[in-house]
Amino acid sequence: MKVLFNNSRAVLICILLILASFSSIAKSVTQAQAKAATEEAHNLWQQSIAAGHEWSTIKPLVVQSKKNLTAKLYFSALSLAEQAISQSKQALIQAEHEKINWLNNLPK
Amino acid sequence: MQRSILITAMALLFSCIVNATPEQDKKLFQKFYTDRFSDIPISEFSNGVYALDQDARDQWEATLDFPPYEYALEEGEELFDTPFRNGKNYASCFENGGINIRQNYPTFNRQRNTLITLELAINECRAENGENFLAYGKGEIAKISAYMASTSEGSIINIVTPTKGNGLADYKKGKQYFYTKRGQLNFSCANCHLQNAGRKVRSETLSTALGHPTHFPVYRMKWGGFGTLQRRIASCDAQVRAQPLLGQSETYKALEYFLTYMSNGLPINGPASRK
Ligand code: HEC
Repeated sequence: MKVLFNNSRAVLICILLILASFSSIAKSVTQAQAKAATEEAHNLWQQSIAAGHEWSTIKPLVVQSKKNLTAKLYFSALSLAEQAISQSKQALIQAEHEKINWLNNLPK
Repeated sequence: MQRSILITAMALLFSCIVNATPEQDKKLFQKFYTDRFSDIPISEFSNGVYALDQDARDQWEATLDFPPYEYALEEGEELFDTPFRNGKNYASCFENGGINIRQNYPTFNRQRNTLITLELAINECRAENGENFLAYGKGEIAKISAYMASTSEGSIINIVTPTKGNGLADYKKGKQYFYTKRGQLNFSCANCHLQNAGRKVRSETLSTALGHPTHFPVYRMKWGGFGTLQRRIASCDAQVRAQPLLGQSETYKALEYFLTYMSNGLPINGPASRK
């Protein structure tokens, strides 16, 4: 019984420690990480424009993420950049797919 | 063996679809609508959504005695007639003095190897006469264009068939844009205005793309003024969360060219009013 009690307490402490470390990871986004993500977001956004498939939702994310980087709000800069990256990647997939797929829309 | 036959057949089919001539495209395009809406005379598609939705049509017709654009149209005529500072005027730039020519635009200019829309021609006329460019899409340029359209009432759209010398590449670019899904919502123009024409999206009935260019510029209540075809296209792009292109960009010109060629044979009935 005592062993069990000790064990579950240990488990609980472990869980708390893990959770605590998560939140400290979240807080400790560095300037370098945020900057790298913002740059990647910018590049992928430009690629989606070059592919002729820019989504109107991407630019505001990129712009805001750059602003937050300058304002040293690294966590939100990173999170916005990640959204922009994910959307740009989807836009590029759309561009690739539509190279052929548009023909399926022709009247038959 | 069988597989290679299949692949050859598919490649052949693919190249047939891609390389259909503009004439063939137009036939299939118009047939699609006349088959689906077999009780609607083809010239009715010039009335957009009001050809398909009787309730909307009743409301719209009630406004036609005093169309909301009357004043703006008069302004367009005055602007058109006002001489430039050098004493010349718009009429001097266009064949037939700019009267009854809407149906021939966009036109492919072989010497310059580029598409000329009516609005572009209006601005080039200004530049030739030492005046500044007007902003595309709305305001003065749309009023002038609306007046010019009104002088073409009933004339049949007559875009020269795109051939190698007549901007075939631009035509194909416009065609591809029309059928390509775009934006975060992943819709093509065709998804709404071809496959789903006549159906409702939210509370609005979707018009047929056949007839889209006949009645522009349109006076839209939402805008409180005239807007050009490219302005309307930009707002549809924005609706599907695609980044709209600039007015008179090569791609929008190409799209306008494709759309207008698809409506060859329909009468001009612009300007018109819409919600
Ligand atoms: C999600 C559906 C949707 C898509 C995609 C879409 N539109 Fe529209 N469009 C509408 C709705 C709704 C209206 C307003 C009702 C109507 O007239 O069809 C409209 C109106 C228009 C009009 C004005 C019609 C008139 O008579 O005044 C034009 C022109 C037009 N669209 C062209 C386009 C083009 C070109 C594209 C592709 C770039 C496009 N649309 C993509 C939904 C769509």
